[in-house]
Amino acid sequence: MPDPNMPDSNDFIAGMNSDSRKSPVRVAFVTRRTSAQVKARDDGGTVMVFPEALFRGAVAIELLLLVLVVFSLFWDAPLEELANPLLTPNPAKAPWYFLGLQELLHYFPPVVAGVLIPGLVVTALIAIPYFQINIEGEGLWSRNRTLRLRMVRITLVLFILFLASFHVWVALAPTLLMVGLMLYSATERHDAGRFHRWLASKPLSFWIMSWFLLSSAVLTLIGTFFRGPGWSFVMPWSGQI
Amino acid sequence: MAATLSQQLTALRRTRVWRSVFRGGNGTSNLDRALAVQQNLFLHLSSVKVRKRSLAFRVTWFLGTLCMGALMILVATGIPLMLYYHPSVPQAYADMKDLQSVVSAGVFLRNLHRWSAHAMVLLVFAHMFKVFYRGAYRPPREFNWVVGVILLIVTLLLSYTGYLLPWDQLAFWAITVGSNLLSSVPVIGPKVRFLMLGGNTVNANALLRFYVLHCVILPLTAATFVAVHFWRIRKDGGIYPGKDHKHA
Amino acid sequence: MSVRGRIAAAKAFLFGDSARAFGTLSLALLALLTVVPARDYFRDWRGVQKQYLQLIHGRNDAPALTRHFQGGVQQIWLPEIGVVDRCTTCHVGLKESTLTDVRTQPFRPHPPVPHSLTEFGCVLCHRGQGTATSVADAHNSSSSWEEPILPARYLESGCGQCHIQPLTGTPKLNQGRELLARYGCVRCHTMRAPDGTKRTGTDEPPSLEHIADKTSREWIAAWLRDPQAYAGSATMPNFQLKDDEIRDIAAFLIAQSQPYRSQKASEPAPVPSQDDAVIQQGASLYGESFCASCHAVQNAAGLLVGGNLGPELTRVGSKVKIDWLADWLRNPAIYDPASAMPHYRFDAKQIGLLVTFLSSKTDSDFTGTAKAAAAEPKQIERGRILVIERGCASCHAINGLKAPEDFAPELTEVGSRPLSRILFAPGVPNTLPDYIAARIRDPRSFGDTLKMPRFSLPQPQVDAIVTALLAQTARAETLPASMRIPARKPSDYRPAGRAGKLMDEMRCFSCHIINGRGGTMAPELTYEGTSVQRAWLVNFLKNPNTLRPALIRRMPRFNVTDAEANTLADYIMTAWQTPDFEGDASDDLRFTAADVQSGRELFYNKYACQSCHIIDQSKDKGYVGPTLTQVGSRLTAPWILHWLRNAQTLRPGSLEPVWNMNDADARSITAFLMAQKGAPVKEAARK
Repeated sequence: MPDPNMPDSNDFIAGMNSDSRKSPVRVAFVTRRTSAQVKARDDGGTVMVFPEALFRGAVAIELLLLVLVVFSLFWDAPLEELANPLLTPNPAKAPWYFLGLQELLHYFPPVVAGVLIPGLVVTALIAIPYFQINIEGEGLWSRNRTLRLRMVRITLVLFILFLASFHVWVALAPTLLMVGLMLYSATERHDAGRFHRWLASKPLSFWIMSWFLLSSAVLTLIGTFFRGPGWSFVMPWSGQI
Repeated sequence: MAATLSQQLTALRRTRVWRSVFRGGNGTSNLDRALAVQQNLFLHLSSVKVRKRSLAFRVTWFLGTLCMGALMILVATGIPLMLYYHPSVPQAYADMKDLQSVVSAGVFLRNLHRWSAHAMVLLVFAHMFKVFYRGAYRPPREFNWVVGVILLIVTLLLSYTGYLLPWDQLAFWAITVGSNLLSSVPVIGPKVRFLMLGGNTVNANALLRFYVLHCVILPLTAATFVAVHFWRIRKDGGIYPGKDHKHA
Repeated sequence: MSVRGRIAAAKAFLFGDSARAFGTLSLALLALLTVVPARDYFRDWRGVQKQYLQLIHGRNDAPALTRHFQGGVQQIWLPEIGVVDRCTTCHVGLKESTLTDVRTQPFRPHPPVPHSLTEFGCVLCHRGQGTATSVADAHNSSSSWEEPILPARYLESGCGQCHIQPLTGTPKLNQGRELLARYGCVRCHTMRAPDGTKRTGTDEPPSLEHIADKTSREWIAAWLRDPQAYAGSATMPNFQLKDDEIRDIAAFLIAQSQPYRSQKASEPAPVPSQDDAVIQQGASLYGESFCASCHAVQNAAGLLVGGNLGPELTRVGSKVKIDWLADWLRNPAIYDPASAMPHYRFDAKQIGLLVTFLSSKTDSDFTGTAKAAAAEPKQIERGRILVIERGCASCHAINGLKAPEDFAPELTEVGSRPLSRILFAPGVPNTLPDYIAARIRDPRSFGDTLKMPRFSLPQPQVDAIVTALLAQTARAETLPASMRIPARKPSDYRPAGRAGKLMDEMRCFSCHIINGRGGTMAPELTYEGTSVQRAWLVNFLKNPNTLRPALIRRMPRFNVTDAEANTLADYIMTAWQTPDFEGDASDDLRFTAADVQSGRELFYNKYACQSCHIIDQSKDKGYVGPTLTQVGSRLTAPWILHWLRNAQTLRPGSLEPVWNMNDADARSITAFLMAQKGAPVKEAARK
């Protein structure tokens, strides 16, 4: 079957053409739980990296460059006065990607915000693929629903109490949102819509990662745009950031 | 016009000089196309064929490619910037001023470098989340995920070390705030901070260290791990096509 | 083909496959990237240089101007003072003296200044960002550069970074510094000159240690409420105190006061007469004694008439007690040994007249008539705390309190204070000069709890003070010491012996400069011994008449005895001599009538001296210089001769022009002037 994206084979100079041979297919041997069998999957065919994938990649990079060039032409990179160790700006802010952490520093002692949390995050990120016991990617509630629901509820209540005891209200908001969605996905209903079914199919790792994404995004945004002198809460347009 | 152009290009490809440089030949057969990738130092990490499905936009959003693109832009703008920069106090800041006022296209170079750096951090994070949500980290790709985490950290460090180099108030205090976090690590924190800054405060030594890290050590580290990352894509079975894949 | 078809075809041609899309995007990117060099090409300075070339095109001086012109970015680089100024890239005509007709910036030539642009650069005086090459960056404030171009009215502050002494070219800076000293700003705020010396006040805030003997609690209260209501010229600022605070401070000040005399005065205090005729006599004595040379009084029109060396006396009758006033007129040193007021040696009758006159100058609106109730200890204690809080002891001596150190923020580097450290009051433009000006004009607008009092100063004085403060930069302290023009060492010249004691009593140095020390109101007397004749001097000391009829301020009579006059004259004739005349003893100073006659000709015709001086009271109308009708009895011949040759060497800054007179002319005019003896002077008897 000729690929419509590929140049017409008539264009090619007569001679050896690798298209004339059948493309190799991937073969998987699955030994667990079943007797040995051969399963062949048609994955929709392959294309040559050159030129198809390479040019696509190049186009993507060029688009990125185009956007960045336009940006650079019209917005100048920030530059402030010469560094002066005697003149502390208020607030002194870290680069934006650390502002989530700096925001946490406002609530927790430095050992927690500066060491424990980032350390846990990096460890968790590295460990994710090795902890993946749920290889089928089945939903959190598809098995042992009652037991799991109880465990999840206890954990969530404890965690929310922990956040509240440190007055981490900004992290509490995204947490509550995720908890709400999670408990909603745990409800059993027959007339469930697509959204509910989609949520219900999600494993525990999805919930944890989504919570991490949402709260770090909220913390970073708050730290970047809503923190003024003395790390007080200000509005972005107040001109005090 | 287009035809003549392509004819001329074909003719160019047939010349001895071209063929001595690009082993792949004229690119008119799949063998040639395969050779074009395989025989190229920079492309040989990739396989010669790729699943058609995995090229679809929704699969990767091209985030990995864009990260690489941002890195390339950063190298391309960073090298000319190095020509105008002295990692010393207060000359570093004077160099920023000169970039703005007397160096041809100096402002543009600096802008592009700065914005690309921010874009890269964003893209790397986006890439990570995209890979996670697609489940592309699962075995046998687990080690490539770890490499990716390392690259994320290297990217953050590259951005962070570069942040100090203009030696303005923004740079100085951002690094001061950031490095103060390090001191809270029990036992080794202050030592590591001292090692990083070359002193107890952000000073000229810190600037030099950050410069060397930013321009030599971290880019080499990044290049090494990027190579491993790419190599492992191929070794781990190509770009993950997605688990919901059904027979066509 | 339909439009839609064409679009589809174009789309297929441009983006048909990834290779085509890549090619199309590459071209687009390339097109976009041409903006970068284009922007570089259209930078501000290139257009400005083009304008300049058009401007000079066709002018007479075009060849020279074109030869001087250099295209491209120009810079003045002075590493030792940290200057990288690229201003001359646009300001191309700064050094072109032939461009004086050009009034538009950036091509105006720089007005002549004693400094070379290439040795000092531009930003040292003008501020702004020297390294910038765009109009906005160079002149305005931005996130990466705080100091904008200094408004022209504060420009003299630049000079003050190196010049510690007053300069003739910087009246505003000099005035500002003088005001900082006169209003006692430097008593609360430490202010150091670039060489590290502390600036000091020239005001002499009165000691309050004996205040109860001098004035009443009611007056203190009224004064504290508004010092300018008592005397418009008062330098004491308004502390904007509440009524109860005023009451308590006045109570404390009276309570801490101690008597200045251990025993009662030997003479009884005069009783002021209510008789208008007596008051009139007192007024005449006040006038004859030239009190108005130092003290001012408001006239009927509300204008101040008189000098500002001493306090204004318009309402002095409401202030001082009779006993104190009599003592003060008897001899000010009894109350205040450091007072600038001379010991007049008035007799009892004169004192009575003056007390009558001065105590008649009352203003019942000022103090009111109510007597204050007796002070409670609680009030006194609260007053003491208030006095400490307000830093009164920074200026005034008060029993039991020490002058606080660094009472107010140091202002040594106020001229380069970062804006990020400043909280602006609403309505104040966010620039440093505006901030300082607002701070001086109304300190309390920056917060009710601030201690700084309000000085009611007119705008030009505020501008002058701002100029002086803007000169207090951090840069001034880091400039190489070789650039500093050091302060002249203040002279501590004090004549010795009996004459010295007399001079101290009469406070000669309050008005005259002698050997570098003294006030500027009256002529310098350093070479007086060379210039005047002894007989005239003795007579003048006893009965000073005026030399310059146009002047209001004159030398008062000090009632000196013959013996005292002779003592003083002996000292002056011996000690106050110029060393320059010694080698000129060969000058022939025996004049003939012919010399006098030719001198008259030269005086009236060649040099037209009568434009400024008077020889013949009936004809001559010159009022600028001193009257010369008696000059032959007053000055010595060698002095006149040297004066005519070059007055500037004898008294720098004198209005007398440098005539470049030949020796013959000078000799003839000297002969003529020496012939002007006026009425015969009777020499006082020598002891």
